[in-house]
Amino acid sequence: MSGRKIGEVILDLKNISLSFGGVKALQNISFDVREHEIRAIIGPNGAGKSSMLNVINGVYRPQEGDIILRGVHHANMDSYGAAKAGLARTFQNIALFKGMSVLDNIMTGRNLKMKANMLQQAIWFGVAQREELAHRLKVEEIIDFLEIQHIRKTPVGRLPYGLQKRVDLARALAMEPQILLLDEPMAGMNVEEKQDMCRFILDVNDQFGTTVVLIEHDMGVVMDISDRVVVLDYGKKIGDGTPDEVRANPDVISAYLGASH
Amino acid sequence: MAFFLETLLGGLMSGMLYSLVALGFVLIFKASGVFNFAQGAMVLFAALSMARFSEWIPQWLGIDNLFMANVLAFAVSILVMFAVAWLVERLVLRHLVNQEGATLLMATLGIAYVLDGVGQTVFGSGIYKIDVGMPKEPVMMLESVFEGGILINKEDFVAAFISALLVVALSIFFQKTSTGRALRAVADDHQAAQSIGIPLNRIWVIVWCVAGITALVAGVIWGSKLGAQFSLSTVALRALPVVILGGLTSVPGAIIGGLIIGVGEKLSEVYLGPYVGGGIEIWFAYMLALVFLLFRPQGLFGEKIIDRV
Repeated sequence: MSGRKIGEVILDLKNISLSFGGVKALQNISFDVREHEIRAIIGPNGAGKSSMLNVINGVYRPQEGDIILRGVHHANMDSYGAAKAGLARTFQNIALFKGMSVLDNIMTGRNLKMKANMLQQAIWFGVAQREELAHRLKVEEIIDFLEIQHIRKTPVGRLPYGLQKRVDLARALAMEPQILLLDEPMAGMNVEEKQDMCRFILDVNDQFGTTVVLIEHDMGVVMDISDRVVVLDYGKKIGDGTPDEVRANPDVISAYLGASH
Repeated sequence: MAFFLETLLGGLMSGMLYSLVALGFVLIFKASGVFNFAQGAMVLFAALSMARFSEWIPQWLGIDNLFMANVLAFAVSILVMFAVAWLVERLVLRHLVNQEGATLLMATLGIAYVLDGVGQTVFGSGIYKIDVGMPKEPVMMLESVFEGGILINKEDFVAAFISALLVVALSIFFQKTSTGRALRAVADDHQAAQSIGIPLNRIWVIVWCVAGITALVAGVIWGSKLGAQFSLSTVALRALPVVILGGLTSVPGAIIGGLIIGVGEKLSEVYLGPYVGGGIEIWFAYMLALVFLLFRPQGLFGEKIIDRV
């Protein structure tokens, strides 16, 4: 890895437990995320990966446990609060605004950074217009970065799956997040698209210094790009460490291969 | 021919007013997925507020100028509708996030009753005059084309113009501003919108404020025609078929649906009425809506409902 340096712990999850009725989705899970690193959460289907991400993002509130973001306790934040705190995310089942163009979708990511009030917007000329143009510039940078210039004006509903995933990432990047949460960014992609996505994730991490927390189902890809990996199975943490450590962990091997003990 | 044109124009103009009420439905449905049954009650509430304040303000402040009184009353009424929007979000919607559509519909039904009741308690339950200086006299047009020309109600003309203006302003707001974009985003996907930092609660207040303004404009126009009275709250029922026709999620649909219903009502009354003994105007719109529900349930411009199996 080039100039990037892994820093202090910026996100610390302590003893998180989450259940839906009788189903224990997460049981007493703790791990931390360091600044500038790529941290992966992996596990078989139904392991609780997405629940974990939704807890970090404030979609679910854990019954027990503590979320500490840069030293501040955030156990009760909702997803709007998470966005304000500098967390952006993408979705497993792409949650783009289907009726809107690629450009408009990405522009929505700038919402928190916009300052013009309703009245100024109603008048449009002046403050609101200058602001819109400034943000548009930033959005164009992201569009260039992710190589989606050619589909700028297309309504996202018409794009193929792989490109929609890329627009989803673009919208999250438009928020200029400190921590980027990616929910199965490579699910359903072909090999070529997966390689592209890997390259983008590494570039984002390298050039912007963005901390990345990503969920993947497929072990292969993740091991190549992650600095550290958490392994979940049936809502429990069964492994945590560098890709090599995790690969050698007998619990992880049995969870993935179903080997007998 | 002249008579046909006259009927047609009359239909278009009353259609414009239906569009305005339908627009209130569409705005709220698009942004929050709530079918707002209280839109009619909001029209009544706004009209009552306008009528009473334009009466009270001159008394309180000793203003003798009708224009000033109207401007002030309109401004106060806007504030009143904003307060209604804020209260609705605070007291009702906030507690019903992610509930079923039917639950929300029932909640708006409740809001309708509260608004009807509170409105008549605060503002009185009589029939009040709204006099915003709408021209009342009819004019003759196109006298060179047709013998005797065609008779047009000037008031309808002004009303249609104001409605059109409001519709254009709203569509620009929706397409061009960042709040408009945020509104469209929320309409598309609540969860995603929230996680990129669009505050759902504030958006809902804004939508209800905008719907409140359309209710106010509709209330003032209908009120100056018929007087601000309880029957105004039933204009919402007249706008229902418009929404079914145009599609619940489409702003242009609401406008064109309104025009079709307005024209259809007038033309059918005049040309079909004699054969069935009249009174078509009352049920025509509902029949049309029923037919649409059978053949095109998403309406003219609504999004086609496709379910992935």
